[in-house]
Amino acid sequence: MSGGPPKGLPSTGPHSLLDMPHPLAGSSSEEAVGGDSTPSPDLLMARSFGDKDLILPNGGTPAGTSSPASSSSLLNRLQLDDDIDGETRDLFVTVDDPKKHVCTMETYITYRITTKSTRVEFDLPEYSVRRRYQDFDWLRNKLEESQPTHLIPPLPEKFVVKGVVDRFSEEFVETRRKALDKFLKRITDHPVLSFNEHFNVFLTAKDLTAYKKQGMALLTRVGESVKHVTGGYKLRSRPLEFAAIGDYLDTFALKLGTIDRIAQRIIKEEIEYLVELREYGPVYSTWSALEGELAEPLEGVSACIGNCSTALEELTDDMTEDFLPVLREYILYSDSMKSVLKKRDQVQAEYEAKLEAVALRKEDRPKVPADVERCQDRMECFNADLKADLERWQGNKRQDFRQLLMGMADKNIQYYEKCLMAWESIIPLLQEKQEAK
Amino acid sequence: MEQAPRGSERQLQPAPLEPLGHPDSGLQAAVGEEAEGARDEGPGEDTMTENNFWLKKIEISVSEAEKRTGRNAMNMQETYTAYLIETRSVEHTDGQSVLTDSLWRRYSEFELLRNYLLVYYPHIVVPPLPEKRAEFVWHKLSADNMDPDFVERRRIGLENFLLRVASHPILCRDKIFYLFLTQEGNWKETVNETGFQLKADSRLKALNATFRVKNPDKRFTELKHYSDELQSVISHLLRVRARVADRLYGVYKVHGNYGRVFSEWSAIEKEMGDGLQSAGHHMDVYASSIDDILEDEEHYADQLKEYLFYAEALRAVCRKHELMQYDLEMAAQDLASKKQQCEELATGTVRTFSLKGMTTKLFGQETPEQREARIKVLEEQINEGEQQLKSKNLEGREFVKNAWADIERFKEQKNHDLKEALISYAVMQISMCKKGIQVWTNAKECFSKM
Repeated sequence: MSGGPPKGLPSTGPHSLLDMPHPLAGSSSEEAVGGDSTPSPDLLMARSFGDKDLILPNGGTPAGTSSPASSSSLLNRLQLDDDIDGETRDLFVTVDDPKKHVCTMETYITYRITTKSTRVEFDLPEYSVRRRYQDFDWLRNKLEESQPTHLIPPLPEKFVVKGVVDRFSEEFVETRRKALDKFLKRITDHPVLSFNEHFNVFLTAKDLTAYKKQGMALLTRVGESVKHVTGGYKLRSRPLEFAAIGDYLDTFALKLGTIDRIAQRIIKEEIEYLVELREYGPVYSTWSALEGELAEPLEGVSACIGNCSTALEELTDDMTEDFLPVLREYILYSDSMKSVLKKRDQVQAEYEAKLEAVALRKEDRPKVPADVERCQDRMECFNADLKADLERWQGNKRQDFRQLLMGMADKNIQYYEKCLMAWESIIPLLQEKQEAK
Repeated sequence: MEQAPRGSERQLQPAPLEPLGHPDSGLQAAVGEEAEGARDEGPGEDTMTENNFWLKKIEISVSEAEKRTGRNAMNMQETYTAYLIETRSVEHTDGQSVLTDSLWRRYSEFELLRNYLLVYYPHIVVPPLPEKRAEFVWHKLSADNMDPDFVERRRIGLENFLLRVASHPILCRDKIFYLFLTQEGNWKETVNETGFQLKADSRLKALNATFRVKNPDKRFTELKHYSDELQSVISHLLRVRARVADRLYGVYKVHGNYGRVFSEWSAIEKEMGDGLQSAGHHMDVYASSIDDILEDEEHYADQLKEYLFYAEALRAVCRKHELMQYDLEMAAQDLASKKQQCEELATGTVRTFSLKGMTTKLFGQETPEQREARIKVLEEQINEGEQQLKSKNLEGREFVKNAWADIERFKEQKNHDLKEALISYAVMQISMCKKGIQVWTNAKECFSKM
């Protein structure tokens, strides 16, 4: 595996401003394609982002070899996404080994984060650190701040509303671990987010607390600029694709919500069914004690029902631990995506408003004020990033749901197979003495 | 006909019947070999001579149910269900069946028949009727007697009752039973003419005996205990089973909601759409499959119910024994006290308190002649008493022997039937599991195509 930047990344070293075409002159930056095409003005942003913000606390420097945040080239990279998943993987992150820590003030769980990478951004080929949920939450906030034009994967819920759930129970910790692992893997797979410095620090720093205290200082230019987009501008017309995705997400979240409710209802019914089964089985045992010849058959039926009860309990546990959390995750995901879309709208609205103001001024036409240019850059950058992320999201969503639903079907099949085996095995027992009679 | 001469209590003795032969049901296997078994006739009974009739097989079926309206005893309109009973005789040679009798009966007439059998065959475990009112229902089942499903299950239960009676080596030969199957009009009058209601032991008498009997046959005590326990455990089982059915119904039906939401979701998806849609269809199939599954399970519940009611019949036989035993003990006690009185009179010693002793003290000794007279009377009574005791003893022993024989027969039947029921229940569960695997495998395939 090469130690350099992901393959296919067009040269993104520093370029002189003179090399770049005027943003308002002719070519739309969104259509910049090809690895060797003239770098778009987005690069201006990207480079400043790269220069300033990739100073890594642990000493590494990005040098001039890669400034991965070139948004326009993202479109190119999309085509090569498959490669990234295949052989060119150079970053592996795993979450495991939950441990309970009991301190005077509080008790909490930490998870071990293991990182293996050949990227130059990492000093060492391997890291192992311990992080708690708070740290993940911090990371996500930082990512949202610093990469506002991207979709940040969701975290599992902070608090468990259901009240009776034990934060330190094995099941809860395991469910959370899986979700946190998923969270980091999604970032790892993202061509831009995976190079984010906060992410790097999260994976590598011995003392995250010290780093956290640095706070605002490292906000990116883009982050800053997007943060300061003023709301209140009215959007003229939303590009079709974003309008469509907005509508889609609305319905999608609704349907997921319905599925979540149905799944919960099913689990509830199954648990009530289980309660009755647990009373039903033993009655056959009681009966068996009264009988002579029928004693064994009745006892057999009782044991059989007991086995089915156990299988059912396993099914409900699995569904609760594996199925529901993933559904909830996607609902959170689409919520956060909606807010990113809104931000994008605001950026576009601001640009359009400013542009219109300029047009109405009827001044020296050719000169376009710098801040309108910046607005346009912002918007186009945002659109490109978002579009790429949305496509990636769609692909991941399809895979995730295929896996999720197949898993649900699988668990049900396994439940029925266990029951089938139990009942089939007592048939000979029931028939036994018939012949002997 | 099983009966022992019991003095003047029984006025009418049903005429010896025409044997019906080995009944063969169209639905169940012939149990005719049982007719060869314990066919113990009581003392003083002519052994039935075999004639050609035994070789004729008959089939009995309750083939239809019909709603009728009529006027009841108080001349008020009422609605009831009538059942068509068809009897076919099967030609031995070619197996063809010919309809010989067909008539309509209602539930109350079945009850009448059974009550008659209970009185005249107290040593037999008389097959029970299906329940009068729907019990142990889970929510989907109707508790309404007019509900078609209930009527259908009752039809099957009544048929089962007739087949049980017809396959019983002793009961099948009863004339009233024969007439029930063959004589539509006037049958009720015929039954009532036997005066069986008068012969029935009063419940109070029976209860009294149960409490006061000193030396019942231990086997009957155990059997009574067993039948109490059996009744309790089967009731419990049926109650829980109904709740289980309810819950299972809920689980399956909620899955139907997946069908709808998957369909709605597929509308907004491009590549995932087809897979989701077809998976949703399988969820609908899954949800609707529960109706048939639970309908089949009702059959199992009915089989259990039969034995729940059989427990009552068992208890009835035990009660009869207790009654007879108590009667015997009372007669023996009475005899003993009379003997003692006699002895006291003969020897002149007064050991026990008696009115005569009192009056003697008060009014003076009686004359030797008076004493002789009294002794004579007592001796006559003692003689009679000893005869009665002897016959009661015999009666009691006969009862125990015959009852126990039928109980053994019943035990075999019960073990066989319940084992069959458990097997068929297991088969139902296996079928349900296989269907479940099928549906979810289909759904999984659809998901994989998403």
